[in-house]
Amino acid sequence: MASTSSLAASLNPATLPDAVSRAELSEIDASAKWPVIVFLLSSLVWLLVGTVFALISSFKLHTPGFLGDYEWLTFGRARTAHLNAVIYGWSTNVAFAVAFWLMARLSRAALRHAGVLVIAACFWNLGVTLGVIGILAGDSTSIEWLEIPPYATPLLFVAYALIGGWAVITFRFRRAEHIYVSQWYLLAALFWFPWLYSIAQIMLVFEPARGTVQALVNWWFAHNVLGLWFTPIGLAAAYYFIPKVLGKPIHSYYLSVLGFWSLAIFYNWAGVHHLIGGPVPAWVISAGIAASLMMVIPVVVTGINHHLTMVGSFGALRYSPTLRFVVFGAVNYTLVSLIGSTMAIRSVNEITHFTHFTVAHAHQGLYAFFSMVMFGAIYYILPRILLKEWPSAALIRTHFWAAAIGVTLYWIDLSIGGWIQGVEMNNPDIAFLDVVQHTIPWLFVRSVAGIIMTIGHLAFAVNVGWMLCAKRPAGATAPTLFRSPQALPVAPAR
Amino acid sequence: MEWIFYTLAFLIATAISGTAVYALYWSSKHGQLRDFERGATSIFDEQEPVGQMTDHFPTKRRKPLAPDAKP
Repeated sequence: MASTSSLAASLNPATLPDAVSRAELSEIDASAKWPVIVFLLSSLVWLLVGTVFALISSFKLHTPGFLGDYEWLTFGRARTAHLNAVIYGWSTNVAFAVAFWLMARLSRAALRHAGVLVIAACFWNLGVTLGVIGILAGDSTSIEWLEIPPYATPLLFVAYALIGGWAVITFRFRRAEHIYVSQWYLLAALFWFPWLYSIAQIMLVFEPARGTVQALVNWWFAHNVLGLWFTPIGLAAAYYFIPKVLGKPIHSYYLSVLGFWSLAIFYNWAGVHHLIGGPVPAWVISAGIAASLMMVIPVVVTGINHHLTMVGSFGALRYSPTLRFVVFGAVNYTLVSLIGSTMAIRSVNEITHFTHFTVAHAHQGLYAFFSMVMFGAIYYILPRILLKEWPSAALIRTHFWAAAIGVTLYWIDLSIGGWIQGVEMNNPDIAFLDVVQHTIPWLFVRSVAGIIMTIGHLAFAVNVGWMLCAKRPAGATAPTLFRSPQALPVAPAR
Repeated sequence: MEWIFYTLAFLIATAISGTAVYALYWSSKHGQLRDFERGATSIFDEQEPVGQMTDHFPTKRRKPLAPDAKP
């Protein structure tokens, strides 16, 4: 068993006798318990912190005087703190939790020496805490998506080295013959993220590249964090949970493999579309636009797969909280990606660039797609590692509807407002200040959408806290509480 | 000084692309790209077989209702 073997033996599967058979699901879930709980709870705390900063920044845009007397809460700092809290705090922590649980389950191998991951989680969260406090104190590097001050990043590097290494070790100990498509996505993401982060740190913070190369590296990094880190983790989860919850294999496994490899080829080039119109060689921009449009292939392929798997099973959405969140996320993945490819076309970009349209797009990607899939994953994982039911179905429904309505209102509102803003900015007859004034109603609705989403986050936090404190039912030893659904009392969600 | 980092970045990028090409070659050689039907069902087992929903809303009421998911 993992707990009794030495650390050295846990690094290399060749040192183990072949007698070690595939681990039981209960054993795998139990082995992942502590790292997953620590990552999930930290992500939850960061979600709430990120939400507070989101609301502060949003209010400031239509009511500039709000908290205007505090220098550490000026818009530049609060908005940056929000971004880093949700990217490195909420999203990355929850990605680690889900990735490890999925990797262990799909590899059919128990997590070995899980304590190392708990230490990594402490380092990671210490780094993010120091980073966010540094940003509020005014130490931001002012490089988009890399604002965390240089004194906090070494902590993140140490944590990531442990985390990435441990995932690869879990994969090496796999007892499953086939590598499921989710594992491809997870492994690729775990390789790509340190590459992106270290190159960007070196070329932008430690030894900044000069001229336009700096802008190129910045947008290569910022866009790829979404496309090569969060997207693969989100898709890995969707590819596992949709078929798993339904008890029905994915529509076309062939297409899923095609989708993975085409994402791997095209996405890396797409970030340059953020510099359309900038002083960058035209061929670089054209290559970025071409790659952005080629992304339609993996997106359509993945969309066909997710949505056709659901065909004939839509009724299941009434019964499964996980499925609701994951399917909502999968639908938004298709939408946000197709909108993203369209935004890369020069004539469209002329309007949407430098407007709230981009903000809407970013939130649809990171919240309506990624975060919703992660919420769904948590609703599936936590009962299995804690061996307890979710205490309140009503709170789950509140969370789903508040998050879904909130984020949909958010991105539709800002997309329309941003488009109008872009058209007006391109019209020399309209004064710039008038354009700014015209955005205020849309920004106000954005704050309302943010408040609705906050209600969902609070419902989620209360449910998680309640679940952790609740007593475990006697005799709960099964890997899942839902092993024989016919025997369980099941009622449709209303 | 700058060129050292450019060279380093280029080498790492080449290595990353190399691992991707090797991964594709490896998966093809080890039969990962064959028998897609078996691949799609690899997430199910005797504990959680095909045709069984594995997630439900929690409820206190004792009123069994079969999920209408068709396998």
